[in-house]
Amino acid sequence: MRVARWLVAIAILLILPPLLPSFLVVVMTEIAIVALFATAFNLLMGFGGMVSFGHAAYFALGAYAAAILVKQAAWPMLLGLAAAPFAAAAGALFFGFFIVRLTHTYFAMLSLAFAQIVFTVVFKWKALTGGDDGLLNVWPPAWLKSPLAYCYFTLVVVGLAMLALHAIVDSPFGYALRAIRENPRRARFIGVNVRRHQLQAFVLSGFFSGLAGGLFAFFNGSVFPDFAYLNKSFEPLVVALLGGVQSFFGPLAGAVGFKILETYIARQWPIYWPLFLGAAVVFVVVALPQGFVGLLQRRAWRTRTAR
Amino acid sequence: MDFVTSLFPWITNGPLIVVQVMSGLSVAMFLFLVSVGMSLIFGVTRIVNLAHGSFYMVGAYLMVTLAEMLPDHPLAFWLALLVAPLGVGLLGGVIEVTLLRRIYHREPLLQLILTFGLILVIGTLVLLVWGPDNKSVARPEALAGSVKILGQPFPSYYLLVLALAPIVAVGLWVIFYRTRWGMLIRAATVDREMLGALGVDVATLYTQVFVFGSLLAGFGGALSAPTVAVALGMDGDVLTTAFVVVVIGGLGSFAGSFVSALLVGELQSFGILVFPAVSIVLLFAIMAVVLIVRPWGLLGHPEE
Amino acid sequence: MADPDGSLVLQVVGLRKHFGGVQAVNGVDLAVAEGELRAIIGPNGAGKTTLFNLISGDLAYDSGQIYFRGEEINGLPPPELCRRGLARTFQITSIFRRLSTLENVQTALLTHHRRHHNLFRPARRLYRDEAMVLLDRVGLVDQAPKPSGILPHGDQRRLELALALASEPQLLMLDEPTAGMAPRERHEIMALAAGIATDARLTIVFTEHDMDVVFAVARRITVLHQGAVLAEGTPLEVRGHPEVQRVYLGQRRGTAR
Ligand SMILES: Nc1ncnc2c1ncn2[C@@H]1O[C@H](COP(=O)(O)OP(=O)(O)OP(=O)(O)O)[C@@H](O)[C@H]1O
Ligand SMILES: [Mg+2]
Repeated sequence: MRVARWLVAIAILLILPPLLPSFLVVVMTEIAIVALFATAFNLLMGFGGMVSFGHAAYFALGAYAAAILVKQAAWPMLLGLAAAPFAAAAGALFFGFFIVRLTHTYFAMLSLAFAQIVFTVVFKWKALTGGDDGLLNVWPPAWLKSPLAYCYFTLVVVGLAMLALHAIVDSPFGYALRAIRENPRRARFIGVNVRRHQLQAFVLSGFFSGLAGGLFAFFNGSVFPDFAYLNKSFEPLVVALLGGVQSFFGPLAGAVGFKILETYIARQWPIYWPLFLGAAVVFVVVALPQGFVGLLQRRAWRTRTAR
Repeated sequence: MDFVTSLFPWITNGPLIVVQVMSGLSVAMFLFLVSVGMSLIFGVTRIVNLAHGSFYMVGAYLMVTLAEMLPDHPLAFWLALLVAPLGVGLLGGVIEVTLLRRIYHREPLLQLILTFGLILVIGTLVLLVWGPDNKSVARPEALAGSVKILGQPFPSYYLLVLALAPIVAVGLWVIFYRTRWGMLIRAATVDREMLGALGVDVATLYTQVFVFGSLLAGFGGALSAPTVAVALGMDGDVLTTAFVVVVIGGLGSFAGSFVSALLVGELQSFGILVFPAVSIVLLFAIMAVVLIVRPWGLLGHPEE
Repeated sequence: MADPDGSLVLQVVGLRKHFGGVQAVNGVDLAVAEGELRAIIGPNGAGKTTLFNLISGDLAYDSGQIYFRGEEINGLPPPELCRRGLARTFQITSIFRRLSTLENVQTALLTHHRRHHNLFRPARRLYRDEAMVLLDRVGLVDQAPKPSGILPHGDQRRLELALALASEPQLLMLDEPTAGMAPRERHEIMALAAGIATDARLTIVFTEHDMDVVFAVARRITVLHQGAVLAEGTPLEVRGHPEVQRVYLGQRRGTAR
């Protein structure tokens, strides 16, 4: 039954892209990338109870690593993309070492401070990063250049990455991570080295965020310092929050909703988009702490128990 | 010494240094006004109000509108400087009562996220009301020019800012250390349990503190309006710097905000002379070091 | 000064800890032999919990030594002590509230067997049977699939006991294991702990306010008062100790707890 559902989902994803108008193929590709970024972020927030306000740093490290290697060092695209998550993970290891020493608000603030540093370095180090102008013409090779081909490519890479993340959440590592979220003190007393475990989770999250950044670089054809900016850091937060942080697929659902709304609202009324986004965040926080998926789950649970 | 002077030619230029110190002081004044409010709100309600930069921006924009609306009279500027912060205080009060009040008992991170959402909402509303173009506010006639200080020109409006600084600092000191209300605030900052024991209506105190903090930010914005281009990006710029100030000084510490605003103000003023490219990195690097070594800030208290 | 004796599971020498002006633990000496069921009693604020926190590595102490199975454990963090065989429970129930009862115990078993760095095996199926055995022992089999946070208070305390047992400790420290329970349940859970101790040959040190419970199970009792050991001996000796009667038992009769 479960297998059947998965097969149907995969079949739809395989059949759908050629049937869609090409601009929706592009939207679909972007949804997949954002979903990966938000799911990687949610490994920390939903499962580890650690909220980073600076995850754009790892997204940007991935994107810039891929772009720089391909543009400045003339690496083939696939190698550049493969290097992206490792560059981001290295950054996450270095920054995370300090960040996981703090908790809650201070954790969020230090992660933000480091992201600002990454942003500034990217912005100022013109020779390497192109500064404000970014790096242009970071396109995939010919066989991946069509939107349809890149969409399939992204779906496969993101699919595999999501499988890995799903396995991590359900693994012994994921169980211990949830235990830390619930009660760090108790976790210490059953033998978990809390900081080390949190750092490992931080690096894993950075790794997959960097992969999302790498995919985005070739999707976008260029990279800009904005990738490391505050707004980018809040994207996975908003997406995960809208979708629901308690469930693994919440951020995926959030990404679908977020990008569809962005496509229509932001295109029609670009001015109102941040207003809408901000109002949605405020509304979710005040009225729907479980996010929209949580709301649906609660409904389903209620109807089931009512019967 | 030759090496140093070749790197930093201004170092032997005494008058330039004096003027630079003075402009650093006026930057510090603006920073202090936002950060002390942010710090105060955190101390009492435990909420880091990310929308504080937005309040500052609204203060500046209100100044623009008031300057247009009020008749051309020498006192108009001063009236506007009084009314604009009150408007921002009102805005803060509305937000506190309708939104923040519902989430004090929830996880701190949700509160951060909520105030982040407010940045977007306020930013867009400002865009809708005032439009996308930069605005400017004229300085009052008496302060429009500049004076010579040791032969260096110095804008006379900044003299006003410098003159107001000790008044504000002393005024806040009196409020915090010499009134019952200030005593309650300090008590709440150190130990919130104590408030209940003192029989204080906590909800009202929270609202008052939030309004007061917003008012200070609004005053900062209004006062700074004639010195900058009033523009949409102000909220983010002010927030990040104020954030650095608050973290370095210690969330919840009045004295910390003061010292740290001075430090950061001067650092910005001289940073532009010394390392124009990396002065912001320097700021964030200092903040990161403080967070790592003393997460509760230079003059704050560690959380229990 | 200290000559750690191999037959002692726990030896504490001249331990001190102060909070501001309060000398919470003021020169405590303690020796617990293998297989003992030792009660530590004392009025509220006597320093029992603080002593537990010092021994279990939760707090740093000012001076003194702690030996666990003959080795000095000065400054070792809780995870390391857990690995060496020291487990504890807390006065205020400490479990993983949004994990199911079964997942709680599974997680403890996974860490104990050092599997918690494994990234790709589904944990659901790992140590399931072992976890059920432990839950059976504390009487929680029926509660296994429920989120532990919604269990009745008594069951949560049982779960915490199971969490501590999952690491197969040599020394189990229980801080008021029966806090907030009805009198009948108190006897039940202490009898349970005592039974497990005999079966698994483990040493238990516990604090308790209910004197009936203490005298029913403890073989030796240490009385703590104002951070120092006031008396130590068999239940009979302690009951007859004039100082203890004066400062503790006598006073307790008047209090509500
Ligand atoms: N973290 C702390 N900070 C300050 N004082 C503390 C702290 N923990 C304990 N104390 C003080 O140390 C003394 C001993 O407290 P402790 O909790 O160890 O007593 P106890 O014997 O466990 O009491 P109870 O029977 O109420 O559990 C008390 O005076 C208490 O107020
Ligand atoms: Mg106690």
